[in-house]
Amino acid sequence: MSWTRHLVRRALPFAALAAIFAIQALADAQSVVAFPLYLAVVLVVALQQNRGESLAVAVIAAMAVVLLPLATGHTSELLPAVLLAAVLLAVAATMAELTRHMRDAASAEQRRLDGLVASERRLRAMVEAVDVGLGLAELDGTWIQVNEPLAALLGRTRDELLRTTVLGLTSDEDRSSVEGALALLRAGDITHWSADVEQLKLDGQPVPVALFMARIPGASAGASLVVQATDLAARRRADAMRDGIAAVRQALITSAAVGTAMPEVLEALRNYLGWSRARYWARDAEMPAEGLVGRVVQSGVLAADRFTVAFPVVDSGEVVGVIELASDQPRTPLDDEVTLLATAGVEIGQFIRRAETAQALRRSEADHRAIYERSPIGIARISADGELLEANPALLHMLDHDQETMRASAWPDILHAYDQAAARSRKASFLAGITDGSSVQVRAATGAGNWLWLQLTATSIPDPRGRLEHVLVLVEDVTAVRETSDRLAESLEAQREANANLEKLDRTKSEFLSIVSHEFRTALTGIQGFSELIRDGGLEADELRAYGGYIFNDADRVNRLIGDMLDLDRMESGRMTMRTADVDINEVLAEAISRAVPSAVTVEFKSDFDPRLPIVAGDRDRLIQVVSNLVNNAVKYSPEGGTVTLSSRVEGRFALLSVTDTGIGIPQDEIGHVFERFRRVRSGAAQSIPGTGLGLTIVKQIVEMHGGKIWVESAVGHGSSFHFTIPLAPEGAGALQLRHG
Amino acid sequence: MADANGAAPTRTITVLVADDNEVAQRLCKRVLEKAGYAVLIAADGLQAVDIALAQRPAMILMDVAMPGIDGLEAMRRIKAEIPGMPIVIASAHSMASDRERFLAAGADNVLSKPFRLADLIAIVQSLTGAPTV
Repeated sequence: MSWTRHLVRRALPFAALAAIFAIQALADAQSVVAFPLYLAVVLVVALQQNRGESLAVAVIAAMAVVLLPLATGHTSELLPAVLLAAVLLAVAATMAELTRHMRDAASAEQRRLDGLVASERRLRAMVEAVDVGLGLAELDGTWIQVNEPLAALLGRTRDELLRTTVLGLTSDEDRSSVEGALALLRAGDITHWSADVEQLKLDGQPVPVALFMARIPGASAGASLVVQATDLAARRRADAMRDGIAAVRQALITSAAVGTAMPEVLEALRNYLGWSRARYWARDAEMPAEGLVGRVVQSGVLAADRFTVAFPVVDSGEVVGVIELASDQPRTPLDDEVTLLATAGVEIGQFIRRAETAQALRRSEADHRAIYERSPIGIARISADGELLEANPALLHMLDHDQETMRASAWPDILHAYDQAAARSRKASFLAGITDGSSVQVRAATGAGNWLWLQLTATSIPDPRGRLEHVLVLVEDVTAVRETSDRLAESLEAQREANANLEKLDRTKSEFLSIVSHEFRTALTGIQGFSELIRDGGLEADELRAYGGYIFNDADRVNRLIGDMLDLDRMESGRMTMRTADVDINEVLAEAISRAVPSAVTVEFKSDFDPRLPIVAGDRDRLIQVVSNLVNNAVKYSPEGGTVTLSSRVEGRFALLSVTDTGIGIPQDEIGHVFERFRRVRSGAAQSIPGTGLGLTIVKQIVEMHGGKIWVESAVGHGSSFHFTIPLAPEGAGALQLRHG
Repeated sequence: MADANGAAPTRTITVLVADDNEVAQRLCKRVLEKAGYAVLIAADGLQAVDIALAQRPAMILMDVAMPGIDGLEAMRRIKAEIPGMPIVIASAHSMASDRERFLAAGADNVLSKPFRLADLIAIVQSLTGAPTV
């Protein structure tokens, strides 16, 4: 349709021109007459159509004006017609130019308008889209325009809001301040104002907002106010969440153990996020299998109902616990809170692992430290170049040094001793190479100056790359052990000696038995032989007498032998009791002489007594036995005409008694043995002298039982001198003098 | 030997008694002389050797425990000179081991002291034969 109309509209000017031409031709009218009609068509087209079209119409009209005079031959009319045609063309061109200018101007204006509209639309969209409440109000606070967030913030529709005022929404407490602010703004005293105030929703619920008002100058209607209201609750919530997570992190950072961190974490969550109660359920503890907490444990995600929210504490994807937050008011956690709690759950989980690891490490460290500190064994930590790094209390106590003395002097000494001991046992020196576990014992002085035996056992401690970092030396005081083992060795040695002595004793006993049996059998030879002769009869009377004498002598000898042996045995076994009393030893010597004289007619006795000799303490009978024995020996070994001299004198606290003969003397090789049993000097002239061989042994025993000594001086051919000492009685001198007096 | 000696009308067999004990000397002398032997006496080892080598008795009755050299040493010296000299060790060392010791040292027989007089005569006779009285 429009296409047809368009075509009609396009064709119409040309049709009009054709009609004018036809009428002119029919009427044979002059061009001047038709000219206004043509002009009219050209003008109309020029105003309405586009430039090309209007020019085409003008050209055709011009041609029509010129064509008719040509066709009719009115040459006189040709020139005016041409002029008229030119006028038509000129008019058309001018009009076309004019129209173009007009159209350009119109389109420019249109574009400006379009831009304004778009800008306005964008601005409005922006105002609606921002998350703050924005509005425009009169200077008296009457709303002119509000955005949707402002309406939502204040709990109203936009239309409801437009029926109120800024002041009308303000709660009673804040009304005066807002009122004052409006007055100041109205008066132009201030250009903007802001404060946190409480606005009221439609239902009367208070809404905390940050209110900002600014005066903007207006064109005709005067100034107005831009009002911005920000939801403080949301901002406070965001702040609270930010502060809450910060507090949780703070608690995690500053606490060392889960036990101290968790209460702070729970308190932070409860406080900042506005929950009434917070509780932590550790996985291994009393975590319930059912309910919200149980659900979180099993699913590992946050769960919530209208009063409670629970979120997992996660470590490496595993739920190690659940934190449960409970509220007295119904509330559903928003997305950002959910995100926050999930994040907190991960951070708390990581902290728990860190804390447990750290605690385990600390415990391990503490255990080792305790071992080190409390070990009864000394422990020294030594650097790779032998310097003492640390000595434990046991070591310091053992050696009675403080740490500094230990480091400066005692340890270097020990190290030196170690190297010496190691060298002796062909081990490496301390720094040359630690043979782990091998021990060396050294002597070391304590601070108090005692010497200890220390057993050092070194162990090298490598660093993670295997190089020697330091050396641990265990130091044990083995002094007691060493002393015990030394004593043990001593007692073993003593035992060995005792065994040897026992063996010797055993041998001695065998020898003794052998000797004794020999002595007896020798004596019995005569007794048995001569008694057999007598028994067999046929003897002369003098023979009988002689043989009886032999038998008697040998029997007597056997008897003496037995007596001597029993005496000796009693003395040696300590069974002989001494009847100690005050004894005048000079008197003992005199009695021995008087006993010997009757049977010793061939020798002369001399006495050389010290008359002031004090009393001695002794057993008188035993002392007589000693002197008699020595005297009998002296007589036995003296030739006819010999002299036996008995003397006494004081020698210190002892009485020194001597029996000296002028007899045959004792050979040099025998003199050391005269006091041994059955040692009789048999050589030379002594061979036929009878005796039991026990006399001098018994004499020596008796003298020693008195606490004295006996010895002999002798030379072959010059006689012998037997000397012995007997202790003086404590009060002897006085007693003797009394008696002599 | 007894047969050969038996041809002689009078024959004296001499026994040397070496003993440091006078009682033993007298006993042996008395018993052996009564049995028809001639008896020489030595009071110690050296004397025994001297007399044995000088007098060449038919046999020797030798004590062991004597001053100077003992009977065994004296026996060794005598046997070194006169290997065939019969020597009886007469000792109061009368343990079994002593007897072995004396025989091993070269004794022809051993007589333990104290002894029966008949044993003394028997042991002398066994080595010298009976004297003609």
